[in-house]
Amino acid sequence: MASASDRPTAPVTASDLELLRKFEPVVYFTKGEQFFPTDVDHYVRECSLWEHHPDGRDELLVRQGELTLEKLIEPRPAGFGSVRYLRFIEALSLAESAQVLADQLLLRRKLGEFFHAGIGRLARGGILPRLLDGLFSLSFLLRGKVTAATAAAAELDYHEMLTKDETYTYYGRLTRQNGWTILQYWFFSSFDSWRSGFHGVNDHESDWEMITLYLYEQDGQLIPEWAAYASHDFKGDDLRRRWDDDAELQKEEQSHPVVFAGAGSHASYFRRGEYQAEVNPPLPAWLSGLLHAWNKFWTETLGQPEANAFHIPFVDFARGDGLRLGPGGPQTWSPVLVDESTPWVSQYRGLWGLFARDPISGENAPGGPMYNRDGSPRASWYDPLGFAGLDKVPPPPEMQPMLADNCAKISRRQQELEKLIPEKAAELQEKGVRLKGMEGNPHLAKQYGALEKEINTLSAELRSLRREVSENTSLMEGLTRRLERMKAGGQDDPRAHIHHLAEPDDPTQVLRFDRAAQTWAAVSLSMLMFAIAALIFFAPGYIWAGLAIILILFVVAESFLRGAFVQTVGRITLILAMITLVILFIHFWKWIIVGALVIMGISLMFQRLRELTG
Amino acid sequence: MAKRKKSDKKKRPIAVTVIAVAIVVLFLLRLYQFFEPLIRNQVFINGITGPLFMGWQLTALGSAFLTSLIYLVLSVTGIIVLIGFLRLHRWSWVLLMAWTGVSLIISLLDYFYSHPNYIVMVSNVIIAFALNITDVQRIYGIRRDDGLSL
Repeated sequence: MASASDRPTAPVTASDLELLRKFEPVVYFTKGEQFFPTDVDHYVRECSLWEHHPDGRDELLVRQGELTLEKLIEPRPAGFGSVRYLRFIEALSLAESAQVLADQLLLRRKLGEFFHAGIGRLARGGILPRLLDGLFSLSFLLRGKVTAATAAAAELDYHEMLTKDETYTYYGRLTRQNGWTILQYWFFSSFDSWRSGFHGVNDHESDWEMITLYLYEQDGQLIPEWAAYASHDFKGDDLRRRWDDDAELQKEEQSHPVVFAGAGSHASYFRRGEYQAEVNPPLPAWLSGLLHAWNKFWTETLGQPEANAFHIPFVDFARGDGLRLGPGGPQTWSPVLVDESTPWVSQYRGLWGLFARDPISGENAPGGPMYNRDGSPRASWYDPLGFAGLDKVPPPPEMQPMLADNCAKISRRQQELEKLIPEKAAELQEKGVRLKGMEGNPHLAKQYGALEKEINTLSAELRSLRREVSENTSLMEGLTRRLERMKAGGQDDPRAHIHHLAEPDDPTQVLRFDRAAQTWAAVSLSMLMFAIAALIFFAPGYIWAGLAIILILFVVAESFLRGAFVQTVGRITLILAMITLVILFIHFWKWIIVGALVIMGISLMFQRLRELTG
Repeated sequence: MAKRKKSDKKKRPIAVTVIAVAIVVLFLLRLYQFFEPLIRNQVFINGITGPLFMGWQLTALGSAFLTSLIYLVLSVTGIIVLIGFLRLHRWSWVLLMAWTGVSLIISLLDYFYSHPNYIVMVSNVIIAFALNITDVQRIYGIRRDDGLSL
């Protein structure tokens, strides 16, 4: 691990742009990625501007070819419930759709960049997640979605833009909060093709991704301490890595952090690999509550390992085997400085692409860097420290003085308490003596009651002060130990703040028989449907029993391929036992209660008799 | 007085004994269920008097044979499992859990098709819950001391 003195530095006098350039990232994409960070100016010129009204009407505000960044922010009053959005790809007819899909295929052949999923995501989840995945796919029949033709047209348009002008842009922002100097690198892509290109959750027009670096000042130099990479909708401590955690945070030429971008999703990862991005389908509150209660019973009462069967396993491929963008290579960045005074950043609150009318928003385009989809301020912009859980962490040079200050405060308070406690204790004893003197004097009953109350209050206060002394002593020990360690140059564990470390899958370890499991994953859902169809056709009288047996057989076959046979058999048997138990209880509840009472009675009697006989 | 030799064998939890008793009960019941259809069809008196299949369909006699066969397999498996289980073999835990699962499915099917056998159901439930006890799983090497399931 590199110490602080080995880290790259930049003078505090450096301009914003110089600072951003000094630490700009190197981004590795996955082979087959079609959309790279581009500039918004080009993109907006290719778009039309629309307003979706609450009555379902879509109104064209500025047509394609006429829109510019200046026109985008022109004030246009809008009603409540309306959605302003850009449209990169205009609606396509059937013939146009067929044409763009064919052209897309030709383009990919020409570029020779095909994506191969390898051990697919379906094989990484069990049969229930696969069933949910099937339902999720079917949900697109009801939800609004971005079509495959739109994705193809976006790919062709972007490729044309890139051919004319091969620039890769990031939007850099510098801000200062709580002693930290914060560098944000925003990446804009004209399309997110995670679903159509890489078997992911969603597609949408336009995509905004971001990484943030946190620097502190020491001896006139700015030194990087933390890096946080945005990944889907996650936030908090898990997103950040310390600069000296070389295994997690890779650097090139010492000062350029390395980012592995998810294929299609553009989510940022610290390490190369394939990540399971689990999507929990939206469930009604009562069902979520029921599942929560079941999980609690399952893990706490029955001691079973925790398992979330109600998730859909999607894979984010961040293989890093494709294009490399950044300093030290043929493709470098074109940085653009932005802040709150940049008009298109602060004054356009609409969506940066198609509003697909998806009620769960996955297919709707995102808002800009400053805003969420609904136009509310984006936390990563206005609170970049809180976004990565750094709001509670002072910059390293302030850590020791803060610790010393804390120690001094506690020490002062301990001194106060040392004086206060004997005073209170003496007062309490004095009152106790007085109370004792009142006993046996009925005419002093009123005063006795009042004094007793006072004594109780004082006693509680004294107890609380003594507890405070004890707690302060423990706290002081901890703080002093930490202060001494820091003075000796000791450092905290760089991953102590991480609750859940995002780690890439090791696909070879996931499955027992790779090929067999993969084939099974691909065909099992269809086979299950065929089996159910056969059951309905051939044995309609045994539908429920047959269905249960078929499901159990499928789950057992699945578990065998996944090397989880023992665990699965145990779980199934336990569930069957619980169903049987409920049936038995319904039939024999009187006997069960009588039996339980008799057993309890005998047990109690036995205990009491043993007490009697000594 | 002679010193009692300390046993170096793994201590058997009481749940194991409970399970063993339940297996014996189930074995006897399954054995009865093996004989019952054959006796009902007077196979032991008259022998096999008719065909077992009519085309693709089982005849009443065929159905009785199939039922008997299933129960015979279950009872024989029960005895094999019992031997392994008392010797604290890991495979016997797995086989017993699977056996109990199958037995529970049959019991539930019997129940839903109006032929409940509550003694079998109770025995199965006892076995299933007893096999899930941490100490039992640990002694059979199903669960490690750190709580992980193998």
